[in-house]
Order: sequence, then structure tokens, then C-alpha cells
Amino acid sequence: MSTPAETGAPLASPVPITAGDNTPRVKVEQASYAYAATGKSAPKFTLGPASFEARQREIVAILGPNASGKSTLLTLLAGLAKPLSGRVEVDGTEVSKLDIRARAQRIALVQQESELLFPLRVWEYVLQGRYPHGRRLRFESEEDCLMAGNALSQVGADALRDRWMDELSGGEKQRVILARALAQRPSLLLLDEPTQHLDIGGKVELLRRLRKLADESRYTVLVVTHELNLAAEFSDRIILLHKGKCLRVGTPAEVYERDLLGEVFEAPLEVEMRPNGRPRVILQGSR
Amino acid sequence: MLAAALFSCATPAFRTARGASQAKGERIVTDEVGRRVKIPAEVHRIVTLAPNLTETVYALGLGDRLVGDTNFCDTPPAAKQKPHVGSPQDPSIEAIAVLHPDLVLATTSINRLDTAVALERAGIPVYTTDPETVNGMLDSITHVADAAGASEQGVALVAQLHARLDGLHARLSERPMVHVLFVVWDQPLTTIGQNTFIADALRYAGAESIILSDRKWPEVNIEEVVRLQPDYIVFTAEHSGAGVTDVAGLRARPVWKDLDAVESGHVANVSEEIVRPSPGLIDVIEQLAHELHPEAFATGSETRRNSESEIRFAFEMKEKHTACAR
Amino acid sequence: MRPLTPRRVFLICLGLCGVLFVAVVISLRLGAYPVSVADIVMTLFNATVHRWDQIPPDFQSIILNIRLPRILLGILVGAALSTAGGGFQALLRNPLADPYVLGVSSGAALGAIISLVVAPHTPGLIQAAAFAGAVATITAVYFLGRRGGQLDSATLLLAGIVTASFLSAAIMFLMTTLSGRDLRGMAFWLMGDLSSPAALDLKWLYFLLVIAVGSIYTTSSDLNLILTGEQEAHHLGVNVHRVKLVVYVASSVLTGLAVSVSGSIGYVGLLVPHVIRMMFGTDYRVLIPASAIGGAILIVVADTLARTVVAPTELPVGAMTAIAGAPVFIYLMRRRVR
Repeated sequence: MSTPAETGAPLASPVPITAGDNTPRVKVEQASYAYAATGKSAPKFTLGPASFEARQREIVAILGPNASGKSTLLTLLAGLAKPLSGRVEVDGTEVSKLDIRARAQRIALVQQESELLFPLRVWEYVLQGRYPHGRRLRFESEEDCLMAGNALSQVGADALRDRWMDELSGGEKQRVILARALAQRPSLLLLDEPTQHLDIGGKVELLRRLRKLADESRYTVLVVTHELNLAAEFSDRIILLHKGKCLRVGTPAEVYERDLLGEVFEAPLEVEMRPNGRPRVILQGSR
Repeated sequence: MLAAALFSCATPAFRTARGASQAKGERIVTDEVGRRVKIPAEVHRIVTLAPNLTETVYALGLGDRLVGDTNFCDTPPAAKQKPHVGSPQDPSIEAIAVLHPDLVLATTSINRLDTAVALERAGIPVYTTDPETVNGMLDSITHVADAAGASEQGVALVAQLHARLDGLHARLSERPMVHVLFVVWDQPLTTIGQNTFIADALRYAGAESIILSDRKWPEVNIEEVVRLQPDYIVFTAEHSGAGVTDVAGLRARPVWKDLDAVESGHVANVSEEIVRPSPGLIDVIEQLAHELHPEAFATGSETRRNSESEIRFAFEMKEKHTACAR
Repeated sequence: MRPLTPRRVFLICLGLCGVLFVAVVISLRLGAYPVSVADIVMTLFNATVHRWDQIPPDFQSIILNIRLPRILLGILVGAALSTAGGGFQALLRNPLADPYVLGVSSGAALGAIISLVVAPHTPGLIQAAAFAGAVATITAVYFLGRRGGQLDSATLLLAGIVTASFLSAAIMFLMTTLSGRDLRGMAFWLMGDLSSPAALDLKWLYFLLVIAVGSIYTTSSDLNLILTGEQEAHHLGVNVHRVKLVVYVASSVLTGLAVSVSGSIGYVGLLVPHVIRMMFGTDYRVLIPASAIGGAILIVVADTLARTVVAPTELPVGAMTAIAGAPVFIYLMRRRVR
């Protein structure tokens, strides 16, 4: 019997979640990508045709082992590259066709921040998130300040407002970076492994915050992560990638199958169901 | 806004300064670098920007018309009392302008083109000389005299200087040229090229540099000097960069002490005037000729220096030291 | 939360202009020929309204023809260098960058030397040749500094340093094979010197200055974002590639302009942006204009000192900025240990 991994076809069609709007905010249809696709040599890396949808108030986690195409998918979602085939749509528009400012108005991509060259205050940093919504040479309006302030509140970082960016701890900085993304007022929040440098407390806090943002402020959040259990606990949908192929899309309960996970991650994993309907992954004993 | 106001007044000012001076009796003269200079009919106030020009002005008998010179101008000593406008390379345009000169004299051998341009912009006439040879220097004296309205003095002075050079030539024409190494600088050892002013001056003194080069200041390896074995080594005195210049010192220096010239004490120190295209140069040439060709002057007496100039030189013969008065 | 407003930018610039004006008046006052402030104000006023006959000829000569053009040149050079310095610091992501780090001044110097060899007595040629050398260097370093078709900060810095070294070696070579008379002009040029009048009418040079500074100013919001990370800026909608190109070209042109007319005056491009940052913050929307005016102030003051400290001998301006600049720089470096 062929394993789910071999057939390479999405096993479950997207399941509409009852909460929130029914129109999908993000629609990915058969999108694929390859680096260095010259046609002569074999492409360096591929993301096979992937399809899924995401709606308002949804957190979608993109999982998979290293080099499975997660970052590529995120790149396509952010509109930074044009898919080789298929479409990536946000709010009905193909993202790769948007100009750079229009894209920044709809989509916020949160990455690990680079080192700042000159000292900057937190509120100045967050205020920069308003850049896509005005002219190129812009002076921020009161409305901008209001939105930046709201963004800080949404991440619970009001108290950090006047601090210097380089004085912040890792967790505080993460919050501020998120606040800047929120100040963009995007439809879509994309995060690339945001929990990498955080301790377990920080990880949980971040996911909780994302959940709250999605529920209360109607954001659509797509998170690339390695954290299987956190993803299971907090996300509405999981996209499982393996070697460039989109293996399964569905709720955590649907995706976390012992054999599937074991094959994808090449590790002895056990899956158990918790009372709240969400699965938990445990490492099998070496017995 | 500020800038706009400021230079809206500056730019027209340039034009008026240059255009306004179409006074009567003005002459337009082309100087030795090809620039056209507007000189007033009467030149009463002269500023010189180089020591050799100061010397020339005094030699032409125009010392009382000199209202300013550089702080390097030391010959004749009276020149040191004149108001100074700065160094030859970077004189203060303002200090020159304040003296209201009718004519400023500059030379390519020591002044910068930018200075001349700046003076021109300020409406001050600048005559630039470009002496490449000794003859050229004599022509410059004539030109400067003409520019300053002292043509008669110029003709007289040049005739005098020519006569002395001709006299020298008469005595030396039969004699072979003495081969010299003229030391400009010690580290690195630098001498003069064929096309320099000094080389020309040396020829008048009956000397020829052993180094043949088209460059102005060729650097030479001491080994080459050993190979060529000059008859004489010539230094300019009191020049810190010239290194060891006296015979005793040279006899103690490795490599140098083995040179024929050092061994026989054929080391000459001449005044720095040799690099200066001015009337005093003729004195130096004569002095050097005396030292290099003593036999040619066995009958005649030493040439007296020009009674109008106040320069004193001496030069070293064998173990004697004398200092140049400045 | 007090965001930067256009009004604040304007007020800061106005204040700095006031300081500049005072510096200019003081500079006009000092010199070999005595003039009083009243004389200066009257002369300037009459000149602005074009009443030439009201100005005594001495004043016209001294104030308008000698001192003022030099001051105006100094303002131009100071503004150009400090703006370029601020631009390069952002472009190269390096607070120690100054306008000469990419070799533009060496290219200009090489152009100048070549012109001295070819046609030593042509006025204005040396400046034109210097500017041509600068432009050639800008182009060469641009092509060397690209990576994947785009300007990459690290690659650009390396390309610039290598080019600067190569050009310096070429200059050394030429200087040892040149005759003594030509070296003299070069020495002044290399040290920075405002006493040579500009070959072109100052009007055109100021025009170029305004265009270049203006173009950098239009990218100042972008630069603020780029300084927090190029990727992040890109995700926020900044056209990073285009901004870097504009800043590169404008800053290099400004440097070439300044160096052609006055040689390499050091420390201005490095220090002034930092001092302005310390006073008014790191936002480029205020940094660009404030640095320009601040640089002008610095050069006017330094040149005045150079002219008057050991009158009538003039010291090179570059020496004054270095003497003042080095201790300030050391102080700044120590302060950065925060």
C-alpha cells in the first residue's frame, strides 16, 4: 500500500472553519517554484504544485523538515517571487502582480531583525510600519501615530514605547517587530520561524498573542515553524511540506498521523489526542 | 535663499571688476605663459611673488617701486623690510590687493597658476615669467623691464649680463667641459636633468652633468656615480637636504670616499642662487667657472660682483668653509 | 511619541542658517584689510540691489571679489561633502564611511595629475580633469560593486577600497616621475585648498549641488527604513535597489564636485553627519539638510582660521579640519561605547 507521502497529492481539501468569514483571504492554486530554472539544467530547488486557502481569523502553520520548501512558499505568499505555475492571491489580487508599495499595504512579513546601524527608539521603529501608506518622502500624521500606538498596545508593548531598540530583550524585540508589522495594517501576516530565539515561555506567549490577534482583530496569519506541538495547539490549519511537495493540508488532527509524520520527519514519533481535540506529538521511547 | 542673495551680488561684481578697468594709456601685453595682461600706462607699485623676481626688480633699479614681496625674498637684504604677502606658493590674495599694485610679477618656477587666476579675478594684472634657460632668463629680465615701463634699464642690465657671459665663453670655449655631479637632494640621491635651468647654467660655467636624463630631477644610484666618476661634485650650500657637503665629511662617508672627486678634494659648494633665474645667477656662474677652470683665469682678476647688488657668496675650496650671508 | 514634522525640520535648518550667516559675516570681517561689520552689511545690501556705484572700490575688491567668492566656494564644498558623507554612511551601512572611501577623490587626483602633465598652464583644465577622473571612478566602482545586478553594500565597500588603493599607487607612481614644478600644485590639491577660484561660474556648481542634495533628500524616508535592514525595508515597500543607486550617484557626484574645486578636505564628510546625529537625532529627513548647512559652517570657520591664524601665510583648509577633526572623532568614538 502506498503511503500518503508517495502519492504526492493533497489528501484533504481545505475544510472551511466555522469562525470568521467564508471568503478565503488567501488562495494558493497549484503554485510552484524553482530556483535557477534555466530549462537547461535541472532546477535547484522546487516547490511542487501546492494549493490551499486561508481565511480571516485563521492561523495557518506551515510545517516540514529543513529544505522542504517552507521558505519558498512564504516567498511566494509574500509576492517576492512569481510562481512558475499557478497563482497566489490575496484578497482576490495576484500578489506577484502588485507593485511593491501595494504589496506592503496588504502583506506584512516578519523576519528576524538585522542589526540596527544607529540608535532608534521603539516608537520610531514601529512608526516606520506606516511607510507603505503614504508618499515616499513622508512625515507621519496623527493618524499614523495613533495606529502605531494601537499596534504597540496589541502586542502589549505600551510600556516599551520610549525605550531604545538596542536595549530590549529578545522577547521584547520580537514584540516590537510584530508591532511594526501590525502598524502596516495588513490583511495577511506572514512570519518566518518567529520562535527561533525565544525560550519556551516566549514561544507560548507569541503564539497566544497571534491567536488573540487573529481572533480579535481578524488577521490572517501564516506561520512557518518547526514547533509541532505549538502549531497543533494554536493553529487552525496545517500545511505539511516534504521535499517540495505539499503533502497534506488540514486541521492538526487530520494532518498529524503517526506514519505520515514519522516518514516526513524521519524520527520515531507518537501522536496522541488531547481532550480538546488537538493532537500532541511525542518522541517514541528507545525501547 | 541666503546663498542666492549672496552670490547674486558676487557674480556681477566679477564682471564689473574686470570690465571697469579700461582706463586710458593701458597696454595689453602677452606674458611668457601666453596670458594677456592689462597693464596700466604707469607702473609705480610692483608686488613680486618670488625671490628671483625681487632680485631682478632691484637689479633694474626699481627697488623703490617695490611695495610688497614674499617672506622668502631675502636678496638684497632691503627686500626683507618690504611688506610681505605670504609665501610664493600660497600668498594672500587679499594682502596683495590691499597694496594696490599696478603690476604683480610671478614665475612658473615657483608660483602656482591658481594664484595668477585668483589675482586676475580680483582685477589685478599679473605678469608671469617662464625662464627655462639662462638666455630665457635674460629675456625675462627684458620683458619684466618692459612691463614695468623701465625698458632702458632693462636693456642696460641685460647688455651687461650678456657681456659677462660672453667674456666667460671666450675664456672657456677652448677648454674641455668638466664633468660634474650636481647634487640636489641626498636621500634619495637626486640630480638635475638635461633640460633644467641649472643644467644650462652649468654649461655656461663650463660644466656638464654626468647624468643624462629628460626628467627634471632624476634620481640616481650612487653606484652609477661611481661608474661615471665625475671630475667634480657640486652642492648648493646650506641646504639641509643635501646631506654631507664638505670634503672632510665626504671622505668619511662610505662609497663616497672612494670617488676620485672626493679624494682629490674636488667638491664645490655654490650659493643657492644657482637655482634662481635672476641677475645674481651670473655671479654664481662666474664663481663656479673660476673654481672648475682655474687655469682659464690665471691671468685675469676675479670678476667683481655687480656693485648694485648686495649679494655675497663664497664657496668652498678644499677644506675651507664659508657660509652664505642671507 | 513626537514624530518629526516638516516644521521641526524647517526650524532646525533656519537655526543652522542663522549660525552660518554669522560665520559668514565674521569671515568677511577678518583679513588683511580692515572692514567693519557695518561696512560689510552695507556692501552686501548694495550689491544685492545692484547699486554698484554706492560701494567704494576697495570694498568691492576685497569683500565682493576676494573674500566672498572664497566663502561661497567653501559653503558649496562643505555642504557637498557632509551630505555625501551622510549618504555613504547609509549606503555602505558603516558609520565610519566618509566621501573618499570609494576612491572618488583618488580618481579626481589622478585626473588632476594627468592634466598637469599634459597641459600645465591651462586654467580650469585641472578642475575639469579632476571631475572627469571622479566620474570615471564612480562608474568603475559602480560596476565592480554590484552583486547580482544590484549594488551590494559590502561588495561596494570592498570595490571602493581596492580602487582607491590602486589609484593611490598610480598617483604615487606618477608623482615620482613628474618634474618638480608640477608636484607643487599637487601637494596643495591633495591637502585641500580653497584659494583656487572655481573654473565654472559658481551658479552652475550650486545648481548641481541643489539637484544632488535634493535627490538624496527625496530618499530620506527610504533611507531611514533601509537602515533598519534592507530586507525589512523591501518588505515595507521601499525600492531598495533604486534608492541605493540614487544615493550612490548623487553622493559620488557631490564628492567629485567638491574634490575638483578644492582638493581633498578631510573629516568634513565623516564628522558632520555624526555631530548632527548627536544633536538632532538619526532621522535622515533632518540629517540631510542639517548636515549640509553644518558642513558649510564647518568649512567657513576652518577656512577663516586657515586664512588668519598665521597671516599672511595661509594654511591649507584640510589641515585645519584635520586638527579640529581628529580629537572630535576620538571623542565620538569613545561615546559610542553605550
